Amino acid sequence: MSDDNPPREEDAFEEEELDETGFISVKDAVLFAIDVSSSMLTPRPSSDPKKPGEVSPTSAALKCAYHLMQQRIISNPHDMIGVLLYGTKSSKFYDEDDESRGDLSYPHCYLFTDLGIPSAQEVKELRDLAEDEAGAREILMPSEEPVSMANVLFCANQIFTSKAPNFLSRRLFIVTDNDNPHEDSKSLRSAATVRARDLYDLGVTIELFPISGPDHEFDTAKFYDDIIYKTSPSDGEAPAYLKPDTHASTAKGDGISLLNSLLSSINSRSVARRALFSNVALEIGPDFKISVNGYLLLKRQEPARSCFVWLGGETPQITQGVTTLMADDTAHTVEKGEIRKAYKFGGEQISFTTEEQQALRGFGDPVIRIIGFKPLAALPFWANVKHPTFIYPSEEDYVGSTRVFSALQQKLLEDEKMALVWFIPRKNASPVLAAMIAGTEKVDEEGVQKVPPGMWIIPLPFADDVRQNPESTLNVAPDSLIDAMREVVQQLQLPKAVYDPQKYPNPSLQWHYRILQALALDEDHPGTPEDKTVPKYRQIHKRAGDYVLAWSEELDKQYSTMFGGAGTTTLVKRGAKEPAGDADGPPAKKAKIEGGTSGIDDEVRRSYEKGAVSKLTVPVLREFLTAHGRTGAGLKKAELVERVEQHFEKY
Amino acid sequence: MAEKEATVYIVDVGRSMGECHNGRPVTDLDWAMRYVWDRITTTIATGRKTATLGVVALRTDDTVNDLEGDPNFANISVLLGLGQALMPDVRKLRESIKPSHTNKGDAVSSIVIAMQMIITFCKKLKYKRKIVLVTNGSGVMSGDGLDQITEKIKEDNMELVIIGADFDDLEYGIKEEDKDSRKAENEALLRKLAEDCDGVFGTLQQAITELELPRIKVTKSMPSFKGFLQLGNSNDYDTAVRIPVERYFRTYVAKPPSASSFVLRSGASAGQEESGSSATVTAPGASQPSEENTLTAVRMSRTYQIKDDSAPGGKGDVERDDLAKGYEYGRTAVHISQIDENITTLETFAGLELIGFVQKNKYDRYLHMSNTNVIIPQRANDKAALALSSFIHALFEVESYAVARLVTKEAKPPFMVLLAPSIEPDYECLIETQLPFAEDVRSYRFPPLDKVVTVSGKVVTEHRNLPSHSLQDAMSKYVESMDLEYKNDDGELVNTLPIEYSYSPLLHRIESAVRHRAVYPKDPVLDPSDRLTKFAEPVEEMVNKSQPYLQKLMTIADVKKVPPKTKGRKRQREAEKPLSGLDVDALLNQEPKRAKLSPENAIPEFKQLLSRADSVEVILDAVKQMAGIIENLIRHSLGDANYDRVIEGLGTMRDELVDYEEPAAYNDFLRKLKEKILGEELGGDRKELWWLIRRKKLGLIDKEMSERSEVEAKEAKEFLSSSE
Repeated sequence: MSDDNPPREEDAFEEEELDETGFISVKDAVLFAIDVSSSMLTPRPSSDPKKPGEVSPTSAALKCAYHLMQQRIISNPHDMIGVLLYGTKSSKFYDEDDESRGDLSYPHCYLFTDLGIPSAQEVKELRDLAEDEAGAREILMPSEEPVSMANVLFCANQIFTSKAPNFLSRRLFIVTDNDNPHEDSKSLRSAATVRARDLYDLGVTIELFPISGPDHEFDTAKFYDDIIYKTSPSDGEAPAYLKPDTHASTAKGDGISLLNSLLSSINSRSVARRALFSNVALEIGPDFKISVNGYLLLKRQEPARSCFVWLGGETPQITQGVTTLMADDTAHTVEKGEIRKAYKFGGEQISFTTEEQQALRGFGDPVIRIIGFKPLAALPFWANVKHPTFIYPSEEDYVGSTRVFSALQQKLLEDEKMALVWFIPRKNASPVLAAMIAGTEKVDEEGVQKVPPGMWIIPLPFADDVRQNPESTLNVAPDSLIDAMREVVQQLQLPKAVYDPQKYPNPSLQWHYRILQALALDEDHPGTPEDKTVPKYRQIHKRAGDYVLAWSEELDKQYSTMFGGAGTTTLVKRGAKEPAGDADGPPAKKAKIEGGTSGIDDEVRRSYEKGAVSKLTVPVLREFLTAHGRTGAGLKKAELVERVEQHFEKY
Repeated sequence: MAEKEATVYIVDVGRSMGECHNGRPVTDLDWAMRYVWDRITTTIATGRKTATLGVVALRTDDTVNDLEGDPNFANISVLLGLGQALMPDVRKLRESIKPSHTNKGDAVSSIVIAMQMIITFCKKLKYKRKIVLVTNGSGVMSGDGLDQITEKIKEDNMELVIIGADFDDLEYGIKEEDKDSRKAENEALLRKLAEDCDGVFGTLQQAITELELPRIKVTKSMPSFKGFLQLGNSNDYDTAVRIPVERYFRTYVAKPPSASSFVLRSGASAGQEESGSSATVTAPGASQPSEENTLTAVRMSRTYQIKDDSAPGGKGDVERDDLAKGYEYGRTAVHISQIDENITTLETFAGLELIGFVQKNKYDRYLHMSNTNVIIPQRANDKAALALSSFIHALFEVESYAVARLVTKEAKPPFMVLLAPSIEPDYECLIETQLPFAEDVRSYRFPPLDKVVTVSGKVVTEHRNLPSHSLQDAMSKYVESMDLEYKNDDGELVNTLPIEYSYSPLLHRIESAVRHRAVYPKDPVLDPSDRLTKFAEPVEEMVNKSQPYLQKLMTIADVKKVPPKTKGRKRQREAEKPLSGLDVDALLNQEPKRAKLSPENAIPEFKQLLSRADSVEVILDAVKQMAGIIENLIRHSLGDANYDRVIEGLGTMRDELVDYEEPAAYNDFLRKLKEKILGEELGGDRKELWWLIRRKKLGLIDKEMSERSEVEAKEAKEFLSSSE
C-alpha cells in the first residue's frame, strides 16, 4: 500500500515549501465573518433574463465560503477554515448559546463552523445553509439591535488565539455591505479600532470584501480604513496591493454577478502565500547581490495519498503512522545521526559518513547567479524538465533589491532576453542550470491579479537528461496537404488564442474528492463526472468538419501519388505498402488514417450489430480495444467480448 | 540489451614505471593507474554481469600465465582472469599492482597473452573484444610475429588500444624532448601495431585529461504511449481524424545513484577493522574491512496511532488488523472497502485528443509543467507519417501550438498538454509538455514592479522601490555587456544554450566519489571537477569586459546590505497605523485597564504594553506577567493541548525582548522555566514541551542575537540541548 512507501528523501526535500519560519508554523487559518443584516439578506434578482435566479449577499458569501472550504480540502488539507455569522438574532459561541444562563460573551455572533480542518459533516452543514435548506432561516435571522464590531473582532481574536495558535497566517475575511456600522457612537467605534489593533498585534490580517448596494457605493474611508492595516504583520509585501483590489471587487450589480465577483476576489486570496525559499541572493554580477524570495506558483496538485483508517471504533478514524528505524541485525532502534549512506558497487556497499554525504551534496550556498544573457528565442521549447519557480524581490537582506530587480525585469521584457543562471535553491540542494525569464502582471476582467509580475526560473535539462530522438519515418507533407490542414487548425483557435488554466479543472482530482465527499456524507453516487477537458466534439465537427474532409481527401490523393499511385512505384512495392492506408470506405466520407485498423472497426461493428462479437478472434478484439483507448492486454476472451460490447453500448 | 564485453587491461609494472618522469610528482605507474582504475571502476559501476574484464601485469618479478613455459612470455602475470569484476577483485588488484624490481618482459608478448585470454573466454560468441595496454614503453620489445598478431586481432574483431606515458602525439601537442632511443623505437613499433590493427594509439596525458569529461549514459527510450492523435470523436462523427502516433521522452532527469541506509554492525566501531573478512587479502594495508561485514541494513518499522484521550500523551497504538485503506476528507476519515478500490478513479480511455489551438507568441513559456516528450508517427506507417507531417507543418506555418488532452492508458488521469511543431532537415515531430490545470495555479499576489500604488489608490512612478532612468540605463548597458556567445564544433557562433556541455553536477560527483572510494577507501571525498562547475560562474573574460558597466550599475543602484542584527527589527512605527493613519496608540493609552495583561488577549496586550513602556520596570513587569500566563497555560494543559500557545507566547516574548534590547529578562525567565518543566512542577511530565522548545529553537538569546546579551553562543547551545 502506498502508505508504506514514504517519498524518497531527496525528492521531497527539493520540493517542499518552508514549513517553519522561526518558531511559527507555516499554516493558514481563514475565518469568514459574514454580516447577516436585513439588507445583506435581501435577494438581488438576476438582470440577465437568460439566467433567472436571485441571490442575497449573505447567501453569496456563504456560497463562497462553501466553495473555498471544498477547494481547500483538496489544495490545503492541513489548513483551517471557519465561519462566523454576525448580526444574527441568535448567538452561539462554543458552549454558550441562547439557552445558556448568564450573559453571553458575544451577543449576535453565531459561530457556525468552528475554526479547524473541516469535517464532512461541517461541509454539509455549510452547504445546506448556503443553499437555504430547512433550518437556515432560523439561523439567518437578523438581530433587531446592532451588533458591536468590537465584540465581533474580539470574538474572532478569541477563536484565532485558541484554535490556531502559532500559525504564520491568520486571516479574517469580513463580508459586509455596511460601510459605517457605528455611525453614531464614537465610543463603539474607538472600541472597534482598539480590537482591530489587537488582531494586528496578534498577527491576524483583516481582508475586507465590501459589497455595494444598487444605489450605495461602499466607502472604506467611513470605518474600515481605521480597522485595516497597511502591512500584513506576517508578510510585509502583501497588502500594499490590497487597496485597489478591494475596489475592483466592490460588487454592485445583481446577485449572480455579485457572487461571481466575490468568488473571483476570494479565490485570488484563497491560499496564503508560502515561500519555497526566502532571501536567496540573486547575484547579478560578481559582488553585486540583491535578495529574492521564491514561490511555487505552478505546482501539480495531486490527490492526497491514501492512508490507513482504523475501523475498531464506532466511526472510522484516521491513523498516524510512526516510523521507527531499526538495525537489521539486532533490531535495536537507530537514531538518524547513526545512519550511513552507502552505494551499491561491485557487489558490495561503498559507504560515506553523514558528513561526507553532506559534503558531496554541497556546491556552495543557495544562490541564483547570472552567468550571462541570451535572446529569449535561444530557449528551445523542448528544454524543460519540471515546473518553474517564481521569484520576487525582498528588501530584507539588501535594501534596494526591488528597484534593481525591477530594472532587470523591465530590461529583459523589453529586449526579449533571458538570463542563464546557476541555481541552488536551498542549502545542499543540487545545482541546476536554468533560464530566468521575465513575466508581466496579468489581471482578469474583475481587475483581480491572475499572474503577478516578477521573474521565472526554468530549470534546464543537463546533457544527461536529454534523450535521443527515436527512429521515425519522415514523409514531408506536400504544400497542398499542409494548406488543407492549416484550414483545419485556423478554425479551432481557443478563445483569445491563449491557454487559460482556470478553464480546465483537473477532472480526476475533482472526481476523487467528489466521491470522497459523497462517501463521507453517505450520499448517492454523484452520477456522471463533469470533465471540462473533454474536447467539444460537436463544435469541432461543425466548425472544422468540412475542412477535415477536404484534408482527408487530399491526404488520400497525396498518399497514393507518393506510395501507391500507378506509375510512381513498382507493382511489388505497391502491394507491400497497401495495408498501411485506409483502404476501404468512400474516401470523402471518412477521415481516419489508422494503420489498417479502420477495416477492423467496420468488421467489429457489423459483428456487434449481428450480436456476433464472440465469433471474432482474440487478436481482432484486442486490436479493436487498443484502437479505442481501452486496455485489452491480459484479458480472457469473454472479458474482451464484454469490453467491446460495452464500447458500443456507450456510443 | 547492452552488448557483452570482454576487455583485458595490460598494465606495465616494470621497475621504471615506479619512477617519476618529466617533472611529474607521481610515478608513471600511479599516473597510468588513474586511467586504468577509471576504466575498470566505470565498468564495475554498471553492475552488469556481461561486462567482463581481466587484468594482466607486464614486467612482473615472476611469471604467471598459460604460456609460462615459453621464455618469450616470461615476466608477465595474469592478475585477474576475464569475468565480472567485483569489490574483492578491486582489493586484490590494488594490492598486487606495484612496481616490480625488473625491467624485463615483452609488451608484445603481453598482448598475445591478452588475446589468448579473450579467445579462450569468448570462444565464438558475440562479444565486444578489447585489449588496452598502458606502458611507458621503456622495456625490450620484440617485433617478431607482428603480422600474425595483427591478422588475428583483425580476424577476431578485437580493438587494440595502446596508451603510453610521454608518447609523442603531435596532434595533441606532446613531444618528449631527449627521448631515449629505445623508447623511440618501441613507440614506433607499438604505433605501427596499433595502426595496423585499426586500433588506437595515444599518449597518456590525453587519456587522463579526457577522464574529466563526464560520460553520459545513453538510455534507450521506450514508448510511453501508443495510440491516436485525434481531432473530433470518431464514434459520433464522420469528420474525426485519427492519426496513429507514439510518444517517447525528449527529456527525462537522470537521477544520481540512490543510496541505502546502513548502520555500523553492533560491536564494530567506525575505526575498527575486522580481520579475515576477505581471504584473498594478505598484503599489509589490506586490512581495510569489507564494508559488507561492518554495516548492517536499516529497516523501517511502522506502527499506527490514533487519538486516544485516555492514553498517556493522548495517542494510542492500534492493531494493524483493525486498519483498512481510506482517505482523508477534511478531518473525516473515509474508508474504502477493497471491492470499491477504484471507486474514486475517473473513467478514461487512452488517446491524445486535440482541444484547440493557441498562438505561439501569446504562450507564456513558464507554463511548461513537466519534462518534454516527442510525438512521432506510428512505426512503418507511411500514411500516418504523411498526415502528421502536414499537421506539424500547418502548426509551424500559422505559428500555433495545439492544446490536447492526453490519457496514456485506460483509467489513467488525463493531462492537458501542449504540442509544438519541431522541424529539422531530417526529423519531424511534435514536442509535448504538460500544462497546468486550474488547481495547479496558486494565486499569490504581488505588487506591480513598474509602479507603486499608494494606500489612497494613487499611482506613483518615482519611488525608492522603482528604478530611476539612470538605473535602467545602467542595467541595460550591463545586460548588453554580458551577452553569452557560444560556438559550435566548427567554431561558428550559434544561438543556443550550452545544454550539451552541461553535466548534472550531483550525479557525476556522486558516481565518481563512489568509484574513487572503491579504489582509495582512505581518501577524503574530492571537490567536484571543474567540468561539473563550469557554469557556476560567468567566464572570466566576460566579467572583465563588463566590469566598468557593473561598477556603474552598482554605484547607481546603491544597494545596501542589511546588517544581520537589524534584520527582523521592529518595523517602523508608521507601518503600525491603519490605512487611515489613525493614532490607535493614543486610544490604547486611554484604556487604563490594559496595564494588567489579560490571559485571553495576552500577546497583543504584551506587545502594546512594551510599545508604550517608559521605563525598564514596566518592561520587566510585563515580562513577569507574561511569564505567569505562560506557566499557567502549561500547568492547565491537557496533554499537549496548550503547547502551541505556549510556543507562540515564548516566541513573541523572545522576539520582542531582542527588539527592546532586554535579552536578560527573557533568559532569566527561560532558565527558571526550564527548571520547572524538567522538575515536573508545571502539572507533571512536560518533557515533550521542552523538546518542542528545542525544536523551535527558542533557547537563550545569545550575543550574536543581541549585543546586550551576556550569553555566549556555545552556552546557549548547551542550554538548549542539555536535559538537566
